[in-house]
Amino acid sequence: MRIESKDSQESIQRWFDKEVEDGENVILVYPNLQAFREIYTMYVKDQLAEAREQEVKEEDNNNNNSSRDNNEQSKSRIILIAPFYETVNSVKHQLSAFGIENVQGLIDSGSLVIADSFHSFFPDTKGMKKLIDSLSIRARKEGRPGVTAIVDMGFFFLFGGDSMAADLISYEASLAPKTQDGNVKGVSCYHWGNYETLTERDKGLLTQGQRKKLLEVREIRNYS
Amino acid sequence: MSDNNKPLARLLIVDDDPDIVQVLKMGLVKNGFLVEAFTNPQEALQSFKSDAESYCLVVSDIRMPSLSGIQLSKKVKEINPNVKVVLMTAFEIRDNEFSKVFPSTQVDGFVQKPIGIKDLTDKILSLIGDTKNRKKGEEAKRGKDIGENREQR
Repeated sequence: MRIESKDSQESIQRWFDKEVEDGENVILVYPNLQAFREIYTMYVKDQLAEAREQEVKEEDNNNNNSSRDNNEQSKSRIILIAPFYETVNSVKHQLSAFGIENVQGLIDSGSLVIADSFHSFFPDTKGMKKLIDSLSIRARKEGRPGVTAIVDMGFFFLFGGDSMAADLISYEASLAPKTQDGNVKGVSCYHWGNYETLTERDKGLLTQGQRKKLLEVREIRNYS
Repeated sequence: MSDNNKPLARLLIVDDDPDIVQVLKMGLVKNGFLVEAFTNPQEALQSFKSDAESYCLVVSDIRMPSLSGIQLSKKVKEINPNVKVVLMTAFEIRDNEFSKVFPSTQVDGFVQKPIGIKDLTDKILSLIGDTKNRKKGEEAKRGKDIGENREQR
């Protein structure tokens, strides 16, 4: 299944929410690093805006003496950003530069996790899954709606060689396209330059073979 | 530039960040090198293939899409085993980690970004010096062998 982002006025979060359900793992192909930066930056920005809207609603409810306990709803999703072509500090800088205040505060509160994907995939590629699993458990414990994991898959293309595609397909195969009652939205992000080095057969095995959605971002406009 | 205005060596610079490529090229040209610089590693490889013997050294970023610095290093060494390769990274370099990650990669040096032009120039000159010294040694050895062969005749 191939979906292209066409509506430039749509927010990244709404687009994600529409295309990626909780418990679902999808494949996203982005055209360049700038587009990848805009995807994660706008997602974080949208998420914060939604959390603020929620807070306002809760305050209104409290003012109206509502007895409903909204504690769980006031907590935001955990967002994991795992870049490969830029450093953790570069991601923090990007977020701040796009007007997201107190990035460190988001990290300290556990709402935002930024991790170099190299160190989560190396020496054991299962390291990334373990990290996401631990965030999923924490989200449940803290009463958060779930986790959105935006992971750059560039690590698998670092060494090249004959086993590269096999390792990659094996890793993707270990991520179920949809998990019942799962609380993780998993987005495996591929730079177009890497994705195009795969054979058509390997691309097929990566997506149709595993019944995963392929989200292809051609261009991002008017998101700022 | 060297005394006789000939460039010290021809270098290939590859980094997907255009700002870094531009700064390194300007600095290294100023320090006397002939520099070909690319932001696209595939284009850099094509340039290298077209005149592989003219390049003394390749300076490349490691994490680049479509062709990583490690893959580029392997390819240029296959084409010209004498070329030196220096890999650059903005990520923290841990020696023990690199030996685990890159055990089969024939790389002559690593540098961590950001790197000053002076430090990079020193690194390049030390590696090119090695090449020149080794070539001189090989030439001297060849001369000695020829001499010994003549004596044996």
